[in-house]
Amino acid sequence: MMLADRTRGVATAPGWSGFVVVLCAMIIAMAVISTRSDANVIVGATRTIELPRQADQSIDQLRAAYRRPKVIPFPKSNPYTLEKAQLGKILYFDTRLSAANVLSCASCHSPAYGWGDGQPRGVGHGMRVLGRRSPTIINAAFGLIFMWDGRAATLEQQALGPIQADVEMNLPLEDLLARLKAIPEYGPLFKAAFAEQEITAPQIANAIATYERTVVSARAPFDAWIEGDEKAISDTAKRGFVTFNTKGNCANCHSGWNFTDDSFHDIGLPSEDVGRGKFLTSVVKMQYAFKTPGLREIARRGPYMHDGTVSTLDAVVEHYDKGGIDRPSRSELMKPLRLTTQEKSDLVAFLNTLTSTLVPTAVPVLPR
Amino acid sequence: MSIASTSQLAVPAVVAFLLGGAVAAALAAEHTIHQKGKVFSAAELAIKKGDMVTFLNDDNITHNVLSITPGNDFNLGAIGPGHSTPVTFTKVAVVDIICAIHPSMKMQVKVTD
Repeated sequence: MMLADRTRGVATAPGWSGFVVVLCAMIIAMAVISTRSDANVIVGATRTIELPRQADQSIDQLRAAYRRPKVIPFPKSNPYTLEKAQLGKILYFDTRLSAANVLSCASCHSPAYGWGDGQPRGVGHGMRVLGRRSPTIINAAFGLIFMWDGRAATLEQQALGPIQADVEMNLPLEDLLARLKAIPEYGPLFKAAFAEQEITAPQIANAIATYERTVVSARAPFDAWIEGDEKAISDTAKRGFVTFNTKGNCANCHSGWNFTDDSFHDIGLPSEDVGRGKFLTSVVKMQYAFKTPGLREIARRGPYMHDGTVSTLDAVVEHYDKGGIDRPSRSELMKPLRLTTQEKSDLVAFLNTLTSTLVPTAVPVLPR
Repeated sequence: MSIASTSQLAVPAVVAFLLGGAVAAALAAEHTIHQKGKVFSAAELAIKKGDMVTFLNDDNITHNVLSITPGNDFNLGAIGPGHSTPVTFTKVAVVDIICAIHPSMKMQVKVTD
């Protein structure tokens, strides 16, 4: 089209020069972007686009999003078997997996404390206080990523970490294997679970992870209400559920039946721990960012936050109402909420409906 | 047609150069990846060297798209709903991409010749 114009001569010149100037500017701009980074990937300018407006969800639609799953998922690489889960439970409760023979997984992730330890921060080898609170393993089967800073992709990857960490159980892998091999009654348990007499580290991780996946929250009053029993929770709690999904802004991160999307956010807490920022040093939003915990059994799982510095659910709500420290890394979802006193107590009433009647766990008899 | 002044001669030459550039750019394909529902709209995307992938945040929350493949790193930063960012891949590679915030978002871009 432009070539045809050219052959007709310069009669169209006045419209031409402006067009050529714009094209030159674009080519120069592209050249500048290309030469500024000789990287293999070139990022262009972000532009605004218009999105279609989404209709607000009705309370019934919201309730449907919170239904409990019927099945616990197990990965193809480590499928469930009863023998593996039984061996995993034994290993989970065995204090001989620590150098000093006094700490097991269950020491910090105890069924007595909602599968945590009720402490602001964990306590490890030599009674040393650790940097962060012990997370629960409730509903870990549904997790997408593990540890406060997300450095473990799977439960199998996480399981051997604390065993080897010098501040935690402080037992090197070769010593762990030697110990288990020296306990005669372990051999048949590993053979039953893995069809091999040889005890290996991956098997230990697989067994512990399989057991952990069996730890799920039981049916809570909230679940009964979701399933249609209007008398299961109070009107205060029902209002709290609505606030949780609207003005409270909670469901943006504490989403779904387990009340987490496993996302990482800086919620503006006054702690020097940079969390996931240690692994993604160039990502501003990951500084001071920690994984969103689930909220099942939450009323029985204080104190709260990655360092246990917030003691009660009322104080948690207060923190979110204020919005936390305003800094570049803070999540855009954090801002002062201006909740009324009623809305705050409604939220706490709702959170209390997430407590189920957990069946007490029998501690296994350990191999000798 | 008659040849006029030198300045008017220069214009057609520049146009030919720019046209060449425009044609080359037009041969590169464009792809769009959506982020609605805290997932990437494709888990795997096969593209050619020089193609552009537009990361569109059509979700209702902020995302931070990031490559974790050394040598093909990029970080789009925190981008809110209603924004799109073009990313051009110029080398053959397999690039792993995540959202730094949401672990439910991961995909792979396979760049070939």
